[in-house]
Amino acid sequence: MASSRVITHPLSRRQILKGGAALGLGSAAALGLRPSWADPWGQTSVYAKGVEEGPEVSLAIRRESILIDGKKARPFSINGESPGPMIRLKEGQDAVLRVTNLLDEPTSIHWHGLILPPGMDGVPGVSFPGIAPGETFTYRFPVRQNGTYWYHSHSGLQEQLGHAGPLVIDAAEREPFRYDREHVLLLTDWTFEDPMSVFRNLKTAEGYYNFQERTIADFFADVREKGLAATAEMRGMWAKMRMSSRDIADVTGSTYTYLLNGHSPEENWTALFRAGERVRLRVINGSAMSYFDVRIPGLKMTVVAADGQPVQPVPVDEFRIGVAETYDVLVAPEDDTAYTIFAEAMDRSGYARATLAPREGMAAEIPERRKIADRGMEAMGAHDMEGMDHAEMEGVADGDMEGMDHSTMEGMDHSNMQGMSDERSRMNANGMLAAGAAQPGSRYDQAGIGIDPEARRMLVYRDLKAFTPWPDRREPERELELHLTGNMERYMWSFDGKKFSEVSGPIHFNKDERLRLILVNDTMMEHPIHLHGMWMELENGQGELIPRKHTLNVKPGERVSALITADAEGSWAFHCHLLYHMDAGMFRVVKVS
Amino acid sequence: MRKTLLIITLGLIATPTFAAGKHGGSHGSESEADIDRTIRFEAGDMWFDPEGLDIVSGETIRFEIANTGNLEHEFVIGDTSAQEEHRKMMLEMAGSHGESGVHGGHGGHDGHDMAEGGLGSSMPAVTIAPGETAELVWTAPENAGDLEYACNIPGHYEAGMYGDIDFQG
Repeated sequence: MASSRVITHPLSRRQILKGGAALGLGSAAALGLRPSWADPWGQTSVYAKGVEEGPEVSLAIRRESILIDGKKARPFSINGESPGPMIRLKEGQDAVLRVTNLLDEPTSIHWHGLILPPGMDGVPGVSFPGIAPGETFTYRFPVRQNGTYWYHSHSGLQEQLGHAGPLVIDAAEREPFRYDREHVLLLTDWTFEDPMSVFRNLKTAEGYYNFQERTIADFFADVREKGLAATAEMRGMWAKMRMSSRDIADVTGSTYTYLLNGHSPEENWTALFRAGERVRLRVINGSAMSYFDVRIPGLKMTVVAADGQPVQPVPVDEFRIGVAETYDVLVAPEDDTAYTIFAEAMDRSGYARATLAPREGMAAEIPERRKIADRGMEAMGAHDMEGMDHAEMEGVADGDMEGMDHSTMEGMDHSNMQGMSDERSRMNANGMLAAGAAQPGSRYDQAGIGIDPEARRMLVYRDLKAFTPWPDRREPERELELHLTGNMERYMWSFDGKKFSEVSGPIHFNKDERLRLILVNDTMMEHPIHLHGMWMELENGQGELIPRKHTLNVKPGERVSALITADAEGSWAFHCHLLYHMDAGMFRVVKVS
Repeated sequence: MRKTLLIITLGLIATPTFAAGKHGGSHGSESEADIDRTIRFEAGDMWFDPEGLDIVSGETIRFEIANTGNLEHEFVIGDTSAQEEHRKMMLEMAGSHGESGVHGGHGGHDGHDMAEGGLGSSMPAVTIAPGETAELVWTAPENAGDLEYACNIPGHYEAGMYGDIDFQG
């Protein structure tokens, strides 16, 4: 595959694409125009072409020249593909995954969302030493779950450069939905810059990639709308937080090319269907830093799984997918026409796009992009400006980020505030909320910044509901509260104000205890928090039917909780899945013993 | 296990739909004799087994539908557009956010009812709690367009809980 890619011929890219099509889809894939798992006909008509079928799989990691968005690039490749091939396992197998490092630097692969022995988790320095250049590491683990997952490097910033791929586990038993065809949609954010220089830019110049900062014109517009005093006050508040209200994402479309199955919006990767079919889309956010809002204008999407776990079906028009999350949705296109799969970056600085069509070469209209959102009061936990009490706002403005008083935060959340008497009635003997109850300060019924809930039906965490209770139904024995903290200006990100380099030791879970992890986001950005080795049962208010996830999106100012059964002895990574946040220190080790 | 018997006669076009329901063992006098065949259905999460049905116009079928899933389901017979109307209605009843999955889909009746399919038409329907079995007796019409059976509780149809009814001969 690699060799066929470097053939020099005088054809234009368009001609190559045409030629590829003429030779058949397989040839197009052989030319490296798309990762071969991203075959347009999906699983039902094409098998094993480029898909690495388990239980035994060999993967070779290289750095090589591959065109991305038609431009020269040097991504990491896995078996000649970037992003890598789909690994397809079956529930009940014993997987043997051999990873050979053909780089001149150490590498690793973490199997994101899989429950496995600690030595097989693939985090250098936590699970194993990493894979040295020239070495092969063999991962062996029993596959005892099913669904849509992914894999990626857990070494440095390699993941930013395509060191990732889909991981699908076929269920041993009938799944709670049915479909005729499936496609994997892997979202990534590609940069032609060196990730180290991206990180340096973030460190040295806050807002480096943010070209949407407020200007003097915005200031006068604000003054017109809100009056001079309020405007000045808000400006002061943001200045104190060392943030701009337009810091929706810290790395943006100014450097990123958003890819869907390795293809830029212009390349328009196409997923094929026949009218009347029910199509399962396995959507994976394999980005380093980007949240996406995904929709297919003209089609209702029914969410049937979150983070690989089945959920009671929820018909929606759009869903927000945090970094490292996965959602499975079903669509049923009735017409013989093309539909745009539109994944708009949360900060509106760009989008990934593909087409769902009955034939190659079709395209549908690309929706108008929404305007950049302003964090405004939404970030502070209030749903709308009008409901905002002025005194509370001052309270916040006076507090520094780290020093933010939690009680103030709670008080601000008008939309979700529970009455105290109601609260007490839901408490158990230990004075803790009953298992499954939503924490005050959570906003599970909101999708987040930049979303007009009236515009279309948007998936929210509250919608996620399991079919049956998870096996461990014990009430939590204790609560562990962690604050997500940061200083945007110095690009420091941490838990409880301490970077990973500053903490004295791991977070300790007692073996087999049932605990409640409470995450309080003291920052003004979303953080997708990922726990390795154990599920987090998101207490979204669905009682016994709470969903379990491997990655929890915590919105700015939000307080969320998850129940954990600490049954996985060993050391596990626990971190923010925004790559540069993790690298900056928002990372801890959890030790279960 | 509670059994509900509902007898439905779907007449010709422009004939008002006639439905009669009885509980327990005291079936209507015409029921047993008029039933041409009995079909056992399984309603799981989120599927029907069988996934399709061949019928002959005019035959009277007794459906025995066992809910083997964890959620409440319904079994509604009607044409695709009426089913879609019914789904829209149920989605609105469920509200936009919060509690997904409507309980007692047809307004708290004891298991069976006619489901509103828009434009004043109604469809034979039965709601089945998890672990229970319900019965529905239905006479296939002479001419009925695109008929299907479906569960229209929000998300269930979309997840695949429906099947086509094909007329033979």
